[in-house]
Amino acid sequence: MRMWLFGALLLLFSCKGSVEYAEAPEGVGISGVRRLSADEYDRTIRDLLHDESSPARTALPADVIDPFDNDFTQQEPTAILVTGVEALANDVASRFVADSARRSLVVGCTLPAPDDAVCLHKFIVEFGRRAIRRPLTLDEIDPLMALGTLFATSEGDFWEGIDVVLRVFLQHPEFIYRVEKGTRTAEEGVYRLDDFEVATRLSYFVWGTTPDDRLLDMAEAGLLRDSAMIGRIASEMLEDPRALERTDRFHAMWMGYWALPHDPDLTAAMRLETRRLLEEVIYIEQSSWLDVFTMNGTWIDDDLAGHYDLQPPGSDEPMWVRYDGTTRQGILSHGSFLSVAGKFGDTSPTQRGKLIRTRLMCQPVAPPPPDVNVDEPPEDPTSDCKFDAYASHRVVGTSCKDCHDALDPVGFGLENYDQAGVYREHDNDHPECTIAGDGDVDGATFNGPAGLADILIESETITDCVVQQMYRFAMGHEAQDIDRPLVTSLAQRFPASGYRFDQLMLDLITDPTFQYRREETP
Amino acid sequence: MRSLNRRTFLRGAFGTAVALPTLDIMLNSHGTAWASGGTICKRFFVGFGGHALGADGDTLHNEVVPVATGPGYDLRRATATLANHGNVASEISIISGLRIPYNTGGGIPAGGWDSDFHIQALGPLLSGVRNNASDDYGVNGPTADQIVAEAIGQDTLFPSLAYQVQAAWYLTASAPYGRDVISYRQEDNNIIAMPGQSSPRVAYDTLFTSFVPPDDEDAAIKASELLKRQSVIDLVRADYQRLIPQLGTVDRQRMQRHLDEIRDLEKLLDATGPAQGEICQLLPDPGDDPAIGGANEDSNGAGFDVNKGWSDEDRRARLFSDLVHMAFACDMSRSVAMLYTMAQSHMNSGSYTGLAFDQHEVSHAYQGTGYVSDVVAWHYDHFGYLVAKLRDTPEGAGSLLDNCALVMMNEGGHGYDPGSGDDTTAHSTENMCCLTAGRAGGMVAGEHIVADGYHPVNVLNSAMKAVGVETDLGEVVGTIPGLI
Repeated sequence: MRMWLFGALLLLFSCKGSVEYAEAPEGVGISGVRRLSADEYDRTIRDLLHDESSPARTALPADVIDPFDNDFTQQEPTAILVTGVEALANDVASRFVADSARRSLVVGCTLPAPDDAVCLHKFIVEFGRRAIRRPLTLDEIDPLMALGTLFATSEGDFWEGIDVVLRVFLQHPEFIYRVEKGTRTAEEGVYRLDDFEVATRLSYFVWGTTPDDRLLDMAEAGLLRDSAMIGRIASEMLEDPRALERTDRFHAMWMGYWALPHDPDLTAAMRLETRRLLEEVIYIEQSSWLDVFTMNGTWIDDDLAGHYDLQPPGSDEPMWVRYDGTTRQGILSHGSFLSVAGKFGDTSPTQRGKLIRTRLMCQPVAPPPPDVNVDEPPEDPTSDCKFDAYASHRVVGTSCKDCHDALDPVGFGLENYDQAGVYREHDNDHPECTIAGDGDVDGATFNGPAGLADILIESETITDCVVQQMYRFAMGHEAQDIDRPLVTSLAQRFPASGYRFDQLMLDLITDPTFQYRREETP
Repeated sequence: MRSLNRRTFLRGAFGTAVALPTLDIMLNSHGTAWASGGTICKRFFVGFGGHALGADGDTLHNEVVPVATGPGYDLRRATATLANHGNVASEISIISGLRIPYNTGGGIPAGGWDSDFHIQALGPLLSGVRNNASDDYGVNGPTADQIVAEAIGQDTLFPSLAYQVQAAWYLTASAPYGRDVISYRQEDNNIIAMPGQSSPRVAYDTLFTSFVPPDDEDAAIKASELLKRQSVIDLVRADYQRLIPQLGTVDRQRMQRHLDEIRDLEKLLDATGPAQGEICQLLPDPGDDPAIGGANEDSNGAGFDVNKGWSDEDRRARLFSDLVHMAFACDMSRSVAMLYTMAQSHMNSGSYTGLAFDQHEVSHAYQGTGYVSDVVAWHYDHFGYLVAKLRDTPEGAGSLLDNCALVMMNEGGHGYDPGSGDDTTAHSTENMCCLTAGRAGGMVAGEHIVADGYHPVNVLNSAMKAVGVETDLGEVVGTIPGLI
């Protein structure tokens, strides 16, 4: 039998003169080696080692945030990165081996002797698979056994061996980077991922962290080769709280509210409010993602209700409070979103307009021309009112007009909401300057977050745009020409699912292309 | 434990198949540089401050340029802090009258910029190479510190060092996009950014990796830790080497750069430290880094919290200066780039101007050139501290400073801005100045030299020549007459 197979293979090779490669699906997207962002690193060691200290965000050079923090095309391996990775590995490992509670959770083995080769081997094999997200080969296990045994026995302490082995894992290229190799296909430059690579792609996309044992077991059993099966697994993963964390982070980076200019309490309250909305729509109700923009109320406690001047729900816990009689509606009326894009100590209609154009509508906005000093607020010598001052941006015949015509009227539609999302009738400190709050997007007029949300939904710009942004977040780079057919196809499928965001993620995951990668071209 | 040799033990422990590549790099050459020949090496330093010299709307260009020329020049508001360090002004030359050319309608001139001051003027200042288009914001050539490192630093532990005093960008909803980097090297046709180390803690640990603490117990702990790190990095390097050939072209290049940096780290871990003595010694442990201050939403006003935008940069500057001093004194590095503040710096200037403005805003808020001079003075104070330390360190028949060439440059001058057309702006490369210090190669110290129309890069060319690197940086030809 074996001889026969060998003969047949030989025949195949000799007839074709080359290996037969499997066909690849149409439209495989670009993917490259991706370094864990500081956030992903911290979540990964939290899951691997129960390390809650989030050390990477201070020890590693800051990630480029544009608008997401995981764009691999912007990741440069510099000296300070490599120094930081080593220092971090030393720190994480030595704190781990000094912590007996975490040791027993992760390593097990009560009171191991220094030369306990069985326990060391078990750690290398089991933890190693978690750390580099694939099983180690024998060639890889041997040197680690040698290293660990030597340090454990010479120091007379088993944990000295774990310390050095852990340091190797924490600097391993397949820990620091998500490396996809795969096998060649009939299409030049397109590779089919193996099960473990699919597991890793899935896990960092859905959870923002490393695959757990269960997912790795499924990879090892060869279960991640079929889109339907991958979809079932992903659906279960979406029920894990880490999926909500990831979705929250996606929205926060996309819409810019991941860092807020308020004190920690108000910041936390606003983040909680928005997270609650996303949880309700995407995970609890699994209703249309458009509800994120159309909800006629919000979940807030008495404090935040007081801040917004809404009816307090009479609770220290977030409760449903309706927006009746206001122009509020959905996420665009949350303090989180309205706090973004301020300038000169107040809201900036220009910056808000730019945020809405670039992030929510995915439209490019050119930088200001070089002869403009953007460090000075606009002024009108005859008026103290902001609306008049900003009119100077739009004087006919100036170089400012074209862009500001597209930006300022969008932002002015939200002007009744100050930089902390509180409703106001007039400019700060200028009661004589009544705010009309009228906005205009390409000829469609609105007043307040509700009207803006309706326009974005009606024009389908928000739904097209979120698909592009989600793809960028998932794949770690902006869509190139070659990625576009897939993005377009996902956008076309979005309405069919009733605009369910979880389904959008699943559409990407269950697309045949999810199990493939296209090599970057130099 | 301490008697173990990792290369033998790894081979021995499990009998076979450990397959560690031979380590052939033993960095002893910096030591021999002292022993053989006896010529004392020269050291090069570039400091950078992200500020102008004058304020928007003020006709006074600066309070740096002395009235007198030549030696014994007068100190003014911007240079007054030099007096904090004894008579260090007698070691520091002021080069005035400098300018960087810009596009006046006939195209972007050699070594010049187009019209967008922040970022666009930075490339020509650092590299001497012009912007290649009106939308070019990059640095288009290697910087002086990297050229010097290539020429005279290759045998040292750290061919080049880059430190960064300002700990963070400090402005929310914005990012530095290159305004935080002053060192670039060339690799084939690529110009690669070399961001500076901003943690004094990590910088300290890195610089003194190979030093043996005087206390026996400390020394034993350190030796044991070093052995661990060496053993670990051996395996890590092998993992990268095994992986890289399996990758596609672009991934391979990316990971190769990571591997190159690992090799540098490995060299460092394997290096024998310099001979310690009276002068070259392990500095006291700096402790944890000062906490990183939060970012402000704005440069002043309601969006500016006076408690944010500051991470005790005074202490950070001192710590980094002490490290530079020791890097030079021990001949661990011969080329250092120190970014004091980032271009268009949003660091809180309150502690040295008394204003509730970030540093950038001080130039733009029509508060007058006096306050901008306080910004300048803060930078010169830290530069003066370093120069004084080098001056007070004996080397050969003179001082360490005698074998150094230092240049302190800053982002802009004051005057005409081709972007706005205004004559009295801080977004200008007219009326620029540089400080220099050190007497390497016969560089002139302690004088005010007027170099009307020369480029700041001519000052860098002079300092490079002083350390024996006779090359023009980028497109800017020649040195400053009377400086060398």
